Amino acid sequence: MQPLIDIKGLSYSYEQGQPALQDINLTIYPGELVALVGQNGAGKTTLVKHCIGLLRPQTGRVTVCGQDAAKTRISHLARQVGFVFQNPDHQIFHDTVQKEVAFGLQNLGLPRDEIEKRVAAALRDVGLQHLAQVYPHRLSRGQRQRVALASVLAMQTRIIILDEPTTGQDSLERLQIMELVRDLNREGHTILFITHDMTLVARYARRVIVLCQGRVIADGSTRDVLSQTQLLAQTLLEPPQITLLANRLNGLLTPGSEVILTVDEMVEHLHKVNGGSIDGPCD
Amino acid sequence: MARVIEYVYRESVVHSLNPLSKLAWALGVMFLALAFNNVYYLLTLLSTVVAVALLGKVLKDLATVFKGLTVFAGILVLLQVIFFQGEEVLFYLLPGHILPVTGEALYMGLAMAVRMMAVVLSFIIFLATTQYKDIILVLTEKLKLPYDYVFMFMTALRFVPTFMAEAVQVRYAQQVRGCPVDSGNPLQKIKAYATVALPLVLISLKKAERLAIAMETRGYGSGIRTYYKEPAITKLDMMVILSTLIFIVLALFLRMQGYGVVQL
Repeated sequence: MQPLIDIKGLSYSYEQGQPALQDINLTIYPGELVALVGQNGAGKTTLVKHCIGLLRPQTGRVTVCGQDAAKTRISHLARQVGFVFQNPDHQIFHDTVQKEVAFGLQNLGLPRDEIEKRVAAALRDVGLQHLAQVYPHRLSRGQRQRVALASVLAMQTRIIILDEPTTGQDSLERLQIMELVRDLNREGHTILFITHDMTLVARYARRVIVLCQGRVIADGSTRDVLSQTQLLAQTLLEPPQITLLANRLNGLLTPGSEVILTVDEMVEHLHKVNGGSIDGPCD
Repeated sequence: MARVIEYVYRESVVHSLNPLSKLAWALGVMFLALAFNNVYYLLTLLSTVVAVALLGKVLKDLATVFKGLTVFAGILVLLQVIFFQGEEVLFYLLPGHILPVTGEALYMGLAMAVRMMAVVLSFIIFLATTQYKDIILVLTEKLKLPYDYVFMFMTALRFVPTFMAEAVQVRYAQQVRGCPVDSGNPLQKIKAYATVALPLVLISLKKAERLAIAMETRGYGSGIRTYYKEPAITKLDMMVILSTLIFIVLALFLRMQGYGVVQL
């Protein structure tokens, strides 16, 4: 299969000081749902900025949808790659939420009725349809974050990159956003998201890339990566509590057993261990 | 482009000087630059300014500033060439005896450009080698300027680099939504820049408001201010200030005698 994003030998350092990225090699295929994790300053944002040409590789090469990201205009790449920034205030400048979301679509040169349809759909997806006519700066930070998300969703790009999409959201909103991300992925969008929340990673990501001081130290299926507790500790990450609990129980009861990622899995696993009875006594 | 006027931390004689003496030096350079219009005098002045930058180990950091200034200098020369009516025609800018370049205009333009560079650079060196809090301190304590105004001015300066960084982020955010900020078509580009300017203004307003609140919560304007440390005026500082004064008097004297001035 043709990769959507292909990064070869990418290194990058900012004006002063240490390299932010060192010899990164990554391939992302269509349909993937990838989480990018690592502590602050590990190079996550620097890495994804290369995927849409905001930063140009100093060495190496980044190919996005078959185009060299360093040689393509960003506003052209924007047709293929949607990018949600950490700070929504950097993009918001219209006087209603609706116009804000429509802006990207106008840049794509879509017809008016198509724009209206897509804006309405995107606002419904992020749960802001009732605020379509409100001045965006009146909204809360979390709501503005979702306006930014909607404005990228509406563009319906093949690849969607989210830089910490759940900051400033309460736990319900966080889940809503991630459910939305999963739905988008099921519809065929390829998704790459940055997060610090390992519970979300465990629950939603299918592949995890771990960055530590500008290097990829782990890249694999969520289950494989989250089982390597010591490797994660290098970059000060910890698997979700339920995984840790399961690991401890495994150590006590059934060594070498499988890795548990979510509470639901744990419940299911316990049932299996318990011989299928739902609330029977554990001996 | 981001680092234009920012404090650059180094260990140097220039850094350790009292802000007051550095300010005196920068004002002295300005006075000397305005006193003369002889290019050789001005070039000498400019080279002393560059020497101070070298002494303060900030010359490399000012490379981008220097580049930007040369562009402005070029524009100054060009303006003089176009508008100054001289007699001795050297060559023509356009074929067919259009836009004559005269020796006098070129000389005037060069003098102005060098003068501008000397003055601007001296102040940038002052800012690059002095911490903002120290500048505020001497301006209010030693020169008895009202604290509110000094603080306002210094905060404005301090915001320039932040503002530039924000501008880059905003441009990114709009480009990513397909806004043709990077378009080759200048007309389209100008239109696209409105989408950068607006969020930038909104962010800055918000930032100012937050700053005001932060200041108030820390008791700004609640009474007489005291300071943690007082920058001492050393012998070296006295020497710098004294020699600046001597140079200014000397320049006045020379100027009265008619040195360093070219009549065109």
